[in-house]
Parts: sequence; structure tokens; C-alpha cells
Amino acid sequence: MRKLTCIGLASLGLLTAACATAPDPAALQFAGDSPAPVASADPRVKFKDGERYLRDLSANLNMPREDICKELSRYDCMTDAFRIVLGGVEAPNLLVNEPIENAALTSPIAVDRVALHVCSKRVRMDKESPADAVLFKAGAYGEDGRSTTPDKAWLSGAADAIYGSILLRSPSEREIQNLAAFYPQVADGREAGSTEVAADWVTLSCFAVASSLEAVFY
Amino acid sequence: MKRPHPRKGAYIALALGISAMGAASFVPGAPLIQPASAKPPAPMAFCHSYPEAKACSTGFADCAACHTTPPARNAFGMQVADKLAPGVGRPLSDQDFLKFLPEALKAVEDLDADGDGYSNIVEIMAGTQTADSNSVPRTLACAADDATRAAGAQWNVCTYDAAYAFKKVHMDFCGSSPTRADIDGFRKITDEKTKLARISEALDKCLDSPYWLGPNGVVWNIANAKIRPAHAVKSGENPGPVPLGDYDDDYNLFTWANSDDHDVRDLLLAQYFVKRTDPVTLQQISEEELAKRPRGTMQPVPKDKRVGMISTRWFGAVNTMFTSIPRTTAAQAYRSYLGFDIARMQGLNTVPHEPMDYDTKGVGAPECAVCHATLDPLSYPFTRYNGISGGYSYNDDRLKDYVRVDGPRVAEAPAGGMIFGQEVADLLEWGKVAANSDAFAMKVAGDYWKLLVGREPDVNDQPEFTRLWRGLKSATTYNYRVEKMLHDLVLTNAYGRP
Repeated sequence: MRKLTCIGLASLGLLTAACATAPDPAALQFAGDSPAPVASADPRVKFKDGERYLRDLSANLNMPREDICKELSRYDCMTDAFRIVLGGVEAPNLLVNEPIENAALTSPIAVDRVALHVCSKRVRMDKESPADAVLFKAGAYGEDGRSTTPDKAWLSGAADAIYGSILLRSPSEREIQNLAAFYPQVADGREAGSTEVAADWVTLSCFAVASSLEAVFY
Repeated sequence: MKRPHPRKGAYIALALGISAMGAASFVPGAPLIQPASAKPPAPMAFCHSYPEAKACSTGFADCAACHTTPPARNAFGMQVADKLAPGVGRPLSDQDFLKFLPEALKAVEDLDADGDGYSNIVEIMAGTQTADSNSVPRTLACAADDATRAAGAQWNVCTYDAAYAFKKVHMDFCGSSPTRADIDGFRKITDEKTKLARISEALDKCLDSPYWLGPNGVVWNIANAKIRPAHAVKSGENPGPVPLGDYDDDYNLFTWANSDDHDVRDLLLAQYFVKRTDPVTLQQISEEELAKRPRGTMQPVPKDKRVGMISTRWFGAVNTMFTSIPRTTAAQAYRSYLGFDIARMQGLNTVPHEPMDYDTKGVGAPECAVCHATLDPLSYPFTRYNGISGGYSYNDDRLKDYVRVDGPRVAEAPAGGMIFGQEVADLLEWGKVAANSDAFAMKVAGDYWKLLVGREPDVNDQPEFTRLWRGLKSATTYNYRVEKMLHDLVLTNAYGRP
């Protein structure tokens, strides 16, 4: 899973996380951050595997496990679609008795796809049923729901919901800043005041956190 | 950062396997079948020179100390060979080899065979590999400054981090993270004893979860490589197109022996079968109930001839199949339950005058006899157990049915054999010797270690790993109860230090 670890690391500078390959902590440090963490002398971080990953997302995002991720609206992402590349086994038919020793080339792609699928679905559910919203709380967007840009408190609240739901912890100030700084990029060139912009920002922020090392490894 | 290369073939295999190989070569009359360049006495002789080396904790070194695939030498082996009795004619006799080896080893101590910056002697004493530049001595202890900083960080990478272990236990045994409230609550605990108690409680709860214990659960999947299921020939529930046997019996017995207060040696001793009454509830099946089973799922071996997982209908169907001398069956049992893969030259324990080649397969040829001098005596106790032909039953005269195909001598193959240098009268004794061996305990502990720690035990893990497998054998520690062992495994530094 070392390749997977590092691809995830490269794609996400947003998050502080452990790393199976123990990268130089200084390389992960942002200006103004506290001193670099001590590197583990013997890192043993493990890949969650697809089933544990989906079970976590299912519990934390309040989505039934059996419906959380279906390819072509039919095939369960873990059981049917990406089972082996996500570290699963299938002994009786495929004769894959043990998880693959090293991540497949497609493993990171599968993780990304599952994460995006789940986040898109959660935000869609939030839009359809605002009263039960978990991540995208449109009713709280601006004071009257017609603000052209989300205020700081709204962005901070959304970031807190994303981190709290997926990583089961509060985000640091730095992490909130990173997500907030991402908002203008999502809004760039799009209709001001559109709730779609905010929804897309939540979706992509959710994806960033859900595909982070901290979410995928333990 | 350089990381040690995990040892191929596992520590579990190296110690006893090579020891047996070395020891057997001193047996008078033992055929010295190895080519002259791979010396059977070498593993023991190596440890006579370096009794304090970590690789010699069992008294015998690994073949890989000097060889890639014997007799081919690795970089260290080539250095030793250069210094070994120069000028003396080859091949060296075993006596000369033993005489000159210490001198040759001494001569290369200060060299660095793999060019990793650590001399051969430093690597030998540290237990890392002299011919693998990825395997280098490491210091796991943190400097004082680092330890202070790590103690205040989200994860303490300098010691056992109870919060990390708490989360990990949920993930490994329950299949999902604890809730945020649980995590926050755990972090508020200040007393270390209370933290460990909470970890233990979480483990107890998860050990009964469907994720751990259920069909296709974690324990079930540990058994995959041992059972080797194939749906196409499954009988019973959810049968395949050519139903031969029902491996559900095997999975259930495996799960039973590895759970609750059950003796894990029943993997090789059980004379009963187990059924699953719900996803996490297992129950022994009465003989009356077993006898009423339809033909497709019956277990024809009589109770007094059963030997746990290695005499089931499925084990015979997929391994013995139609063969007279079921070498594949013995090799699979040896690999699955004792950790020795004969195809990788592990666990070789040459028996004098073997292989006898009762079935005239040509296994007496020198290149075959290297392994078959061990494998064939391991296989004889399986010869009375039918595979597909013979209907998976037990038959004292079974081999007479093979005379037409394998020749008249096949009927002379004995019911007794040898395992770990011990004579056994039949498969029942084979199972007893195996189940009580160090190799079995190492294999059981090693399976869980690899699953939970994420890799095979390495040099630095040896004290904790050894404590686990020895504890498994000890009547006063775990007494062959896997769940008791797991409670200690999750408290090891290997598991709980991020």
C-alpha cells in the first residue's frame, strides 16, 4: 500500500496525517504551523480496505452501508466492483485467498472514485432533505439563504461538519483556512449566489477529506 | 528512510525448518543429497560461531544467511566461499567444511557484503540480513527531545499509544472506527490502567462481532489459504455445479477452534464437527445428526480416525483427490498449520533411506530427494484417507486399490511416518505431534501477528512475538486460547506504537 500512501499524500497537502513511508515531517509543514511532528521510527499504518472504509463512511455520514456506493446504480463498490483492488478477498470463485500484498495501480483510483461517489451522494441527499442534512446545510447558508458568498462562520461550520463526520475530530484552524481558501476557486466564473457553488464546495471538500491518508489508513 | 526487508518465508519457518535440515544430516546413514555448495550442517555451524546472534535464537540460522535459493549463494555467501579453505580441493567434505567455516566467517566479518554501510558482523549480531541492503540495524528508541514532543502530539510515536490502539482495535476486530463520542471519552481518561481496561473491553465486544467471527469475517478469511475453497465443487448450502464436498464444515471448525474458550490445537485434534446456528454462534454437531446428513455433505471418516482440519472430506477432495501417496495433502497441512512450505525448502527434515518412492514417481532422483526425503515420510500417514476416489473415507487397505496404476510396491507404503524427526504410527499421532509443536504455536501466533500488525514479525519484534507464541503453549498463560493471546497482542508495542 506504499504507493497508495504516497499518491494520497501528493494529492492532499491539506491534511496532516501519518504516513506508512514516514516522509520527512518538515516537508509536510506549513509556514506558521507548530514544529514538525516526530517521525515514527517504525511506522505500521495499515490500509483500511474497502469494506472498513465504506463501513466508516456509512456510519459517519449516516448512509446505509448497502446503498452508500453503487457503480452503475447496481454494483456495490466494494463487494462487486473494486473488491480486490481495495484489499478484499474472494476465495471461492476468484481464488484470491489473501489481500494483495501491494496496492494495485488502480487502487488509488478506486479509492478516489468511492470517495467522490459517497460525497456526491451525501450532498445530493442533503439537498433533497435539508432537515436531515449532514454536510451541506443549505438552510443555514447566509442569514436569509440568499447571500452571494458564504460567510466565515458558515464555511467554518461546514468544515467542522466534514472533519467531524469523516475523521471524527475537529479541524485545526489551518485546515479550516485551507478549505475556506478553496471556496473562491470553486466559485470562480460561476453565478454569484448560487447554492450549487456552495454544494459543490462541500462535495469537493468532503472528497478531499475522505480521500486523505487519515481517512483511508489507520 | 530505509526500512528492513521483511524476511521471506517467515521467522516461523526459518528456525525449525533449517534446524531440522541441519540436524538430520548428522544422522548416520542419512543421504547427503544436497549439492556440495549448500551444506546441510551450515545453519548449525554458523550458530556455533555466533551463538549470540539474533538469527541464532533457536540454535540454527536461515539458509538465506548465505544463499538465495540453495545452492546459489548470495553476496555474503560468496564472500564466505572465497575465504573458505582456499587451495583445498572441492567439493569439501562435511568435516572439512565444518573445520574451515569459522575461519572463513571470521575473515569476512569486517566486510560489507550488501554495501549498506553496516559490516557483516554488525548485521549478524543485529539480526539483519548481510546480503540485503534494505535490511539494516535500526534504533526504535526516541531521543529525549523527540519523546517529549511526541507525547504532546496527536499520536505518540515514541511509545505504546493507548488512544491509537483503542481506535485500531475497533477497526481490526469490529470493522469500523469507534464513535466520536467514544474517542473523545477515551482521550479524557488519564489513568493508564483504565485505558488498557477500555481497550480490553472493546476487544471482548468485537471478538463476538459478525465482522470478526461471522461468515466471510476476519477469522473465516484467515482460513482461506488453508481450506482453499472452490465454489465450483462445493456441496451443501449454495452448491456449485459439481458438488464434491462442503467446506462450510471446515470454516466452522476453524472458527470454533480460534474463538471463545476453545483449544486451538483442535485444528489438528478435533474428532467432531461444528455447525453455525447464526452468524456468530457455533455449536458442535452430534454424531447422530452428522449420520443423518445427505450423501453430498456426509463426513465418511469415522470419528476415531478424524484429525481435525486435515482429515475432512473437503481436505481430501481438494488435496488428495485421486492420489495414492497424498503428498499435496501433507504439504498443504505442513504449510497451513505449521508454517513450512516445502516448495520453498522450509521445514526440511531429511529421513534416512527416504524417499522410498513406493509409487514409482521418480522422487528418488537427487534433485527431487532434497525435499521428498522429508515430504514422503510426512505423507504416509495420509495414505489411508481417501480423497475423491474411495469416497473420502478411511480404509486400512486403501493402497491396494492403486497397485494397478502405481505398481505393486505402493501397497507397501506404511501407515506410519515421520514429522519433526519423530516417528508417528498414523495420522492421529501426526496431528498430536504437530499440534504440540513450537511450529504450530508460531504459525497460529504468526497468522494473527501478520493480520494485526500488518507484517511478519521482524528482528525487533522477536521478544514480543516469542512471548506470544510461547504463551500460547503455556498452560498458565494462554493455554492455547487464541482470544487470550489476542488480548496481549493488542498491548504490544508492535501493535500500539504508531
